[in-house]
Amino acid sequence: MARAGADHAQHRAHPRRRRWLAVPALAALTVALGGCASDAPQDSLNPQGPQARTIDDLIMPIFAVAGVVLLIVVVAIGYCVFRFRDRPDRDEMPEQTHGKPALEIGLTIAPAVLLAVIGVFTVKTIFDLDEQPNDALQIDVVGQQWWWEFTYPALATETGGPIVTSGEMVIPAGEPIALRLTSRDVIHSFWIPPLNGKRDTVPGRVHTLTMEADEPGEYWGQCAEFCGLSHANMRMRVVALSAEDWDRWVANQQRLAAEPTDEQALAGMEQFTGLCASCHQVNGLVDAEGEPVIADAATQVVAGVAPDLTHLMSRTTFAGGTFDLKVPECTNDPEYTAEYVTGTADNCLNEAELEEWLRNPPAKKPMFSDPENLESTDGLYRGMPNLGLSEDQIDQLVAYLRTLK
Amino acid sequence: MADVTLPAAGVAAAAPAEHEPGPAHVEHGPVDSHGTTGLSNNKLAMWLFLGSDCLLFGGLISTYMLYRGRTQNGPKPDQLYEIPFTSVSSFVLLMSSLTMVLAVSAARRHDHQRTRLWLVTTALLGATFIGGQVFEFTSFYREGLGFTTSLFGSSFYTLTGFHGAHVTLGIIMLLSLAAMTLRGRIPGDRAEVVELVGLYWHFVDIVWIVIFTLVYLIPA
Amino acid sequence: MAIVEQPTPSPSLPVPAGEAAPLAVTPTTTLGVFKRPVEATGWRSWVFTVDHKKLGIMYSVTAFVFFLVGGIEALFIRLQLAQPDGTLLSADMYNQLFTMHATTMIFLFVMPITTGLANYFVPLQIGARDVAFPRLNAFGYWCFLAGGLFLYISAFTGGMADGGWFMYSPNSGPMFSPGHGVDFWVLALQMTGIASLTSSINLIVTVLNMRAPGMSLMKMPVFTWMSLVTQFLLVFAIPVITVALFLLSFQRLFGATFFDPNFGADPLLWQHLFWIFGHPEVYILILPSFGLVSEILPVFSRKPLFGYPFVVFSGAAIGFVGWGVWAHHMFASGLGPASVAAFSLTTMFIAVPTGVKIVNWIMTMWGGKLWFTTAMLFAMGLVVQFTIGGLSGVTHAVAPADTQQTDTYYIVAHFHYVLFGGAVFGLFGAFYYWWPKVFGKQLNEPLGKWNFWLMVIGMNLTFGPMHILGLQGQPRRMYLYDENMVGSGFFTLSFWNFMATLGALILAVGVLCFVVNVVRTSWFSKVRAPLDPWDARSYEWMTSSPPKEHNFDSIPAVHSLDEFFHRKYQEDEHGQLTKMATAEEILDDLETHADEHIHMPDMSYWPLVVAAGLPLIALGLIYSYVISGVGAVLVLLGAYGWAQEPASADPEDLEPPSGPSQELATVG
Repeated sequence: MARAGADHAQHRAHPRRRRWLAVPALAALTVALGGCASDAPQDSLNPQGPQARTIDDLIMPIFAVAGVVLLIVVVAIGYCVFRFRDRPDRDEMPEQTHGKPALEIGLTIAPAVLLAVIGVFTVKTIFDLDEQPNDALQIDVVGQQWWWEFTYPALATETGGPIVTSGEMVIPAGEPIALRLTSRDVIHSFWIPPLNGKRDTVPGRVHTLTMEADEPGEYWGQCAEFCGLSHANMRMRVVALSAEDWDRWVANQQRLAAEPTDEQALAGMEQFTGLCASCHQVNGLVDAEGEPVIADAATQVVAGVAPDLTHLMSRTTFAGGTFDLKVPECTNDPEYTAEYVTGTADNCLNEAELEEWLRNPPAKKPMFSDPENLESTDGLYRGMPNLGLSEDQIDQLVAYLRTLK
Repeated sequence: MADVTLPAAGVAAAAPAEHEPGPAHVEHGPVDSHGTTGLSNNKLAMWLFLGSDCLLFGGLISTYMLYRGRTQNGPKPDQLYEIPFTSVSSFVLLMSSLTMVLAVSAARRHDHQRTRLWLVTTALLGATFIGGQVFEFTSFYREGLGFTTSLFGSSFYTLTGFHGAHVTLGIIMLLSLAAMTLRGRIPGDRAEVVELVGLYWHFVDIVWIVIFTLVYLIPA
Repeated sequence: MAIVEQPTPSPSLPVPAGEAAPLAVTPTTTLGVFKRPVEATGWRSWVFTVDHKKLGIMYSVTAFVFFLVGGIEALFIRLQLAQPDGTLLSADMYNQLFTMHATTMIFLFVMPITTGLANYFVPLQIGARDVAFPRLNAFGYWCFLAGGLFLYISAFTGGMADGGWFMYSPNSGPMFSPGHGVDFWVLALQMTGIASLTSSINLIVTVLNMRAPGMSLMKMPVFTWMSLVTQFLLVFAIPVITVALFLLSFQRLFGATFFDPNFGADPLLWQHLFWIFGHPEVYILILPSFGLVSEILPVFSRKPLFGYPFVVFSGAAIGFVGWGVWAHHMFASGLGPASVAAFSLTTMFIAVPTGVKIVNWIMTMWGGKLWFTTAMLFAMGLVVQFTIGGLSGVTHAVAPADTQQTDTYYIVAHFHYVLFGGAVFGLFGAFYYWWPKVFGKQLNEPLGKWNFWLMVIGMNLTFGPMHILGLQGQPRRMYLYDENMVGSGFFTLSFWNFMATLGALILAVGVLCFVVNVVRTSWFSKVRAPLDPWDARSYEWMTSSPPKEHNFDSIPAVHSLDEFFHRKYQEDEHGQLTKMATAEEILDDLETHADEHIHMPDMSYWPLVVAAGLPLIALGLIYSYVISGVGAVLVLLGAYGWAQEPASADPEDLEPPSGPSQELATVG
């Protein structure tokens, strides 16, 4: 036990142990270089579009510089530990030097110069990334608790209104997309790591962001600004399609939902009209008088909207991009992008998941939708409440939802 | 040694001169018998507090400046403000700074009577200002500007309310001081207490000049 | 007569004869009920104390308890995330825990414990017998305790705050955060804010006005310097968060509209106010540890701090530039490219003074004679880990990259390297270094080594992998992550999450070693520490351990930086540095020349009374104004009593009656 300062010879017994200081640091570095997961869908180090690549090109050399600086510091300390440790043969006091101003000024200027160089490239990149392409396809991105809505103002449907979808933002590959982002309740953040950095969506403000995917494919992301209870369940994907598929997707989205033919689905449509249509829009749905049913979610939910379900089956996820709408056999199919165009094939629907959701949504995804707990919002829900559906109702609804391709 | 200006000075006198000087290569500076600031502890603390308070009002004023145009459906600033009225009450508050100066100078001369007179006058002027503010708040409220009406309402009442609270606290301190002189409790060597309250009072006045200019005089 | 510590106003005019006498009003004559407490032992000696050393210990012990609470919250968070789709915690509970973890660690652990250390050691390092305003000091402690307890009351009244420690609007508004959790959070932070403001003003005045003769600013120990910078940051940062908290509480309690977008409010107002406070806050947390490591490294390298003026000025520079970088927390908020570019550059600039410190620390060790005590190991751990945190900080300053990194685990890794690897390691180093000074006993060194190595391994295993997790797409503040997110291969994100949890458990064992060490040393060890166990260099070692109530029998004059070292070591005729005097001899010399009259401030009830009123006022704002009324009465009563009470009482006003206490008050 170390006790007295006057006699610390006993400490000299194990000086060698200190050399190990450097080892964990080096090991950590090795692991950091080789320790990444492959194919993590939200990997920011795997850019798939020009914007993300610009960021990656900027930061990679800086990571390297930082690694070198760390190495220098660790080596210097390791050298001190090894060379200047208190040894039995060192009795004299070390020289009581108070500093060497020239050395210190030099060691102040060197990092300042290094940082100035980094600063120049950083500022250039900031302004480059801020440029908005003129002729880009525009998509309005709106966040609300706890899902994303995407509106294509330039692409009208048969109703005359724009294409509206949720959870998955479908874009043509190889073309720049101009996003306008805002929120209907709290602050969210739109983040598709393979395509670009994140940008907050703030109520009352409109922010812009440009995105482009090099190749057709699915790019994952999720809300990155803490937005309340189910923040972890607010996800989204960008689906980039080839030019040909994109055109077919747009054509499909522009169609209205057709009236189902089979009996079970028809029954489901009636259930839907009575139970769901006050919040969820389905273009093409008509009431008994033949008038279009228009959702008016503002009377029931804080955000004032619920996901548009006209083409639910042309998506792969539901409930804020959280749950799989399709079974894995279909999502693993290399030809899966066709699903976006034609809607989910009958054998692909993940019925079990959808039924579980309908049985009790807040149990599957935490939401503020307990009717007894809505004092602060004057009775408005934040998220989908439990509708208390019977199994028959659920079966009928699923049969109807299947037809929304 | 009762009249040492700073504790450190007392220490200096107390420290025995027999202490060994440092080793030969050490620089021998003169033994420093004063604090760095030359201010008493209380005054330094008051300055620091006022510095801190600057930031408080800075935050409130920024909030007001950001929100003053956001009146929603409620009344707008130019519909409410009665510049002549507020100018008069501002003038009253400014005059109170003058009487405060007189109070401090009287206290320095150990003129208890005058000190008391000017302290009470200052407090009365301050109270007049507060009275004006209460009147103003009531009339604004009658004209439809509640605390919850709009961003303008919330930030206006918060900013001027915080200032009013500062003035009220100042009045309480002034009256307490006056009461203490009445009971003979501010002898000469504690005249600094009057000076400290004076510092606070002047600060509150200066803040009002800023508020009056930014809130009332510069149109939204 | 030397009136050393009497926070009565100093006269600027000579006192006319005959007027000096009736200045003190005694409690007996004012309220007639209370006599002043005077116990030197027992609980009353702590509860009514105004002694900066006792308050320093109280701050530190309370803060350490909150550290354990915050640590347990962190363990729950890590256990929930040990594997995908964790089921230990509900979303609601998880959100409460990460909010409380951050709030606790920042406001109830690091801030108060650095205040505690500054309280204890700043007067000792500058040769003062107490702080400038001893009762204000006690008041500050009680406000902090009241705030901390008030915050945790909410756990039993329907849920703690769950909006994150940054409490962004509008999510923190009444509509999106119903329940009283956020109300408790806001009001608790106001109370700890009062504590911080009072103690910072107090310490600044103490440092600027009460230094020992000869101690110019550039002869001040570095810890005192860094504490001074920290207190200046606090004085100007606290009012900004106070405004933000007022606005939020007015919205929640009185229906104001400040952050309601339906009224056209700009949610970015909160972010600006919060981060104008929040970024200086980061330096408030780390600068004291920079001071600590600058004390420890020279002692155990047996060399002066390399480039003392550079270390001091870089600390001050950090304090200044720290005000111009707040918006780097908002690079993704949509500020516009010009602001982003400007804040990006200022943020890079602040890396320069930080780098200067690291260079100086390494150069201090260079050519020294290193003695690897536990304190030294912690200090060296700080240097390495803070370097890692600083370098990842530079990668955030690169704003475009930050839009990928912010709100991911990469940020979590960054600030834990800075705050845990940096600030907390500095604190642990100080615990080991100063323990013998405070308690007269040394902590067990072998157990200390276990403590250190387990914490180093645990800390790096916990937070190292988070760099990878964040860059590979795991956002913060998620109560679960999905199996689909983790990627493939051996090093999946779930592997690293598991490692981080494992690291957290190792870290917990490391902290437990410290607790065991403390218990063992305090209750099972009878060995007294030598007066100068580390062959230390600075002023606070020139008194007994633990120090007497009045700190120094006589105040040693200062001739050089590292005064104590220079009194011990002098050059012999060959220019060889040799030990000329032992600590005991130096102390004997000071004791033989003891000051004859030492006036110490007396104990007081009033700080506690005033502070006890505050949580009642706050509670009343939430539940019923009646409770507020009771609290307000208590505050007014306490303030009145306080104002009437002199700092030092007449002997007949003490209960039990006695003369001014000059007895050694042992605190170990």
